[in-house]
Amino acid sequence: MENNTSRRDFLVNGLLATAAATATGCGNNPFAPEETVALSGEKVKLLSVDGEIIEIDKAFLKPVPHMPPLTNSEERKGIEGKKFVMVIDLARCKNLKKCQEACNHAHSLNPGQNWIKVLSMQEAEESAPFWQPTTCMHCDEPPCVKVCPVDATFKRQDGLVLIDSDRCIGCRFCMAACPYSTRVFNWEEPILEEAVAAQPYSCETSMPQKIGTVSKCDFCPDMARMGELPHCVTSCPNGVFMFGDMNEDSVTNGAETFRFSELIKDKAGYRLMEDLGTKPSVYYLPPVSRNFPYESGLENLSPADKQSH
Amino acid sequence: MIWTYSLILICLIGAFAYYRQLSKGLAVTNMGDYVSWGIYISNFVFFVAISLVGSLITAIFRLSNMKWATPLTRIAEIIAVSAIVFASLIIIIDMGRPDRMLNLFLHGRIQSPIMWDVIVISTYFVISLLLLYLPLLPDLKIMIKFKERSSNILNKLYLFQGSFWRGTAEQFKISERAITILCITIIPVAFSIHTVTSWLFATTYRPGWDSTNFGAYFISGAFLVGAGGVVVAMFVFRKFYKLEKYITEMHFEKMGRIVVMLSLLYLYFNINEYLVPAFKMKSGEEAHLKGLFSGEFALIFWFAILIGMIIPILILVFKKGRKPLPMFIAGIMIVIGAWFKRYLIVTPTLLHPFLPMQDAPAEFHHYFPSWEEWAIAMGTLAGTLLVITFFARIYPIIPIQESITEQDETCMSLPPTKRHE
Amino acid sequence: MKKLKLNKYIFLLLPFLFIALTNRVSAQEKEEAVELVKLNYFTVNNGVQYLILENSLKKGRNTEPLKNKVFQLYLNSNTPENLIGKVSTDKNGRAKSFIPPSLKAAWAESSNPTFIAVAVGKEDEIAAELAISKSKIQLDTLTTDGIRSISVKVMQLTDSVWVPAADVEMKVGIQRLGGILSAGDEETYTTDSSGTTSMEFTKDSLPGDQKGNFVLVAKVQENDLYGNMIVEKIVPWGIAVKTDTNFFDQRTLWTTRFRTPIWLLIMAYSIFIGVWGTIIYLITQIVKIKKLGVAVPKEEG
Repeated sequence: MENNTSRRDFLVNGLLATAAATATGCGNNPFAPEETVALSGEKVKLLSVDGEIIEIDKAFLKPVPHMPPLTNSEERKGIEGKKFVMVIDLARCKNLKKCQEACNHAHSLNPGQNWIKVLSMQEAEESAPFWQPTTCMHCDEPPCVKVCPVDATFKRQDGLVLIDSDRCIGCRFCMAACPYSTRVFNWEEPILEEAVAAQPYSCETSMPQKIGTVSKCDFCPDMARMGELPHCVTSCPNGVFMFGDMNEDSVTNGAETFRFSELIKDKAGYRLMEDLGTKPSVYYLPPVSRNFPYESGLENLSPADKQSH
Repeated sequence: MIWTYSLILICLIGAFAYYRQLSKGLAVTNMGDYVSWGIYISNFVFFVAISLVGSLITAIFRLSNMKWATPLTRIAEIIAVSAIVFASLIIIIDMGRPDRMLNLFLHGRIQSPIMWDVIVISTYFVISLLLLYLPLLPDLKIMIKFKERSSNILNKLYLFQGSFWRGTAEQFKISERAITILCITIIPVAFSIHTVTSWLFATTYRPGWDSTNFGAYFISGAFLVGAGGVVVAMFVFRKFYKLEKYITEMHFEKMGRIVVMLSLLYLYFNINEYLVPAFKMKSGEEAHLKGLFSGEFALIFWFAILIGMIIPILILVFKKGRKPLPMFIAGIMIVIGAWFKRYLIVTPTLLHPFLPMQDAPAEFHHYFPSWEEWAIAMGTLAGTLLVITFFARIYPIIPIQESITEQDETCMSLPPTKRHE
Repeated sequence: MKKLKLNKYIFLLLPFLFIALTNRVSAQEKEEAVELVKLNYFTVNNGVQYLILENSLKKGRNTEPLKNKVFQLYLNSNTPENLIGKVSTDKNGRAKSFIPPSLKAAWAESSNPTFIAVAVGKEDEIAAELAISKSKIQLDTLTTDGIRSISVKVMQLTDSVWVPAADVEMKVGIQRLGGILSAGDEETYTTDSSGTTSMEFTKDSLPGDQKGNFVLVAKVQENDLYGNMIVEKIVPWGIAVKTDTNFFDQRTLWTTRFRTPIWLLIMAYSIFIGVWGTIIYLITQIVKIKKLGVAVPKEEG
């Protein structure tokens, strides 16, 4: 169900349509301007704040409005007009790994599979160590996409690099090509709840995972379509992750919203391995004036890493 | 017989291990998210390397009129065909979802080096088959003629494959021309199979793989291991089938010199490949190079260099070393050294990624293949040898017609007093 | 004497009993899960209003949403004629309900309505209660001498009279993905005694939609008296942004197979056709040999 007008233009209609709906097809939820909802055409009467009776489309009544399932080609094309970007503030990270917990839980990952890895980094011998959460970089020139023989991993117009687990042949060339070591492989059958396993695979939720295929962080496009932020962003108690749209020039961690260009300029944001030319979509803010000392994160190391630390 | 049965046994164990892998997934291997390519891939590279020998001996020698090598051409071709078949098999074995193989053809992206590899390997396979078949035709006629020497089934096979070959001048003319065209075509294709295979590594950023040297490095290594393999086969067939008249000491002498030259060439490329980065010691490469020279991989590294290159050179540089038995030993050393060299190309790089290996299971920090991986790898090696063995049982391993022609021509070119045999 | 002895023993036992009991109690506290039911009230643009009920289970430090729990919501009193509706929580433990037109009279009664939630199956207990004051929020924009400013006014209904609402904290800014980018220099703004707050719009050259519009928003979150309020206004203060599809439509090494770079296509196909053309030619030669062999009469040796 595609609109002809742009999303924001439709927003005007959405706002004005609380009193009388005119459009059929998809409408923007007046309660959450970022949501696109399939209008049912049916109207329901309810009481407004000032005691008047007004009508709205029935589709808005459900807590989470129903969205029509996307076709594979729509999933491969992406959300129009957006260019997702993430900013990670290294000055705030304490290695709490709440991001990891939330991400692993939301995507039903197997134990041992982490799409977000919180790495203990140290640039030079004399510089201070810090904690660096590493997601997929969703590069603008992704080496993983270049080498995929079957187009199972692809770059979308909204900047995301996603994986089609129905097409992946498990050759693992993408894993060899990724310099950020961000991809994980399903070496064995994924442990899934029945309800999750029964669904058809969606590139946007990256669920249900399939054996013999690759998976990685997807920037939660299913949440973005609902106007919500990825799970890692909302679960971090320290506001380390900030997510947004470069076309809107803003990023937010839920509580604070910043102008992206200003933030990167003021705090000297940088990208990982810039010299490789992958053009990542994740910016890091240097660990200056840290909120927590590095040592406070040591207690949360995984058992395997505690040994080698 | 023991030979064949033990090979079949190894193949069966490999097949069972693959069945386990199909039912439980790749978790039966010891590969992990860091070492995502293990000995299946190093075996693949090894097979592609060996299969280059077909083009070397058959095509290059033929085109440069090195007639003494004619008896060796069929050995070289069958090694090539057998190796390339098992290269394709082991790649399929390495795939996480072999049930989706058709996707390569339905949704293939020509931008991917894997697609290039699929195309050139299939092309090389077809050309090698043709190069095996065409020179076989005159020999099939001979086999049909002496039908009392072979069983009924084999005779039917020969008739099916070559009954139309009469040996007329016209047929020979077409056949000769076709073989020449094949020889010319196979050389660039052979170069490309191993170059493209090397690009599976060289198109990534990783230390140890990010090298412009890889194409030439792999090809020189391929020629070396192929030549070594031919030497081993020469010795075995000569001994087993009593072919001393056809595979003479002269053949060993000449092959020995060629192997020395190829070893020196490969050694040269190795020096380039390791000395130059070691001079710079970029931080990304430091851990990797130190691991190879003096760290956890040092034993295998120096073993591969010594056994695979240096000692064979030392043996073969001397005339006494170019006798059949020492050459056989050198050949075996070259092949074994080459197998470990291919392992060193794949695994150590994967254990030194750019970002530290953290937040992953402890098993992912090192790699030693599981019994299933060994079984399957050995199974494919055994399978290759089995195909070669069966081929030698069915078809003459020395091109009969060509050898006769060669000897006649050599005889005719000598002054009458020296003609004999 | 026996009785005294017994008493003495009981007296000795008492401290141990006490410790044991308190231990049990505190242990229970650690394991005991607390069920939380929370009601939130929302208004949008002074028009649509709705309630969101959240039901969760708090165990120690973890909070788990409770799904498929059924509640009945009432206005002002727990009686059937004041029923707002029956809702059940979704997988996130949330349920949403609007106020039906049937409660028009009940709603007009008071300036301080109360919402009551009762769990189905536990009708004698009030699961949650929320009292709010009716309010409205107004968003105005002004451009003088090229300087853009915004002012927001919040009013509360007291005894059928609209009075200014002071000390209301809110976010004023531009609606972006997942958050509101503050229009001025501060994160939040609070109304003064006249119920107004105003600020200069300092976010110049901000990208808007294709026409240069964006949505200006004033949002009050979880206010004790007024609940959650949001008011939106489309303003043409942004820069028009054209969706650039050039990046996605280019022929590069990382696009789909249908957008392969031309140089690669030429190279790959010419090599492929060259080599396979030769192979096919050779196969025809073999066929030719075969035909020759069949044509020539069979000879011996």
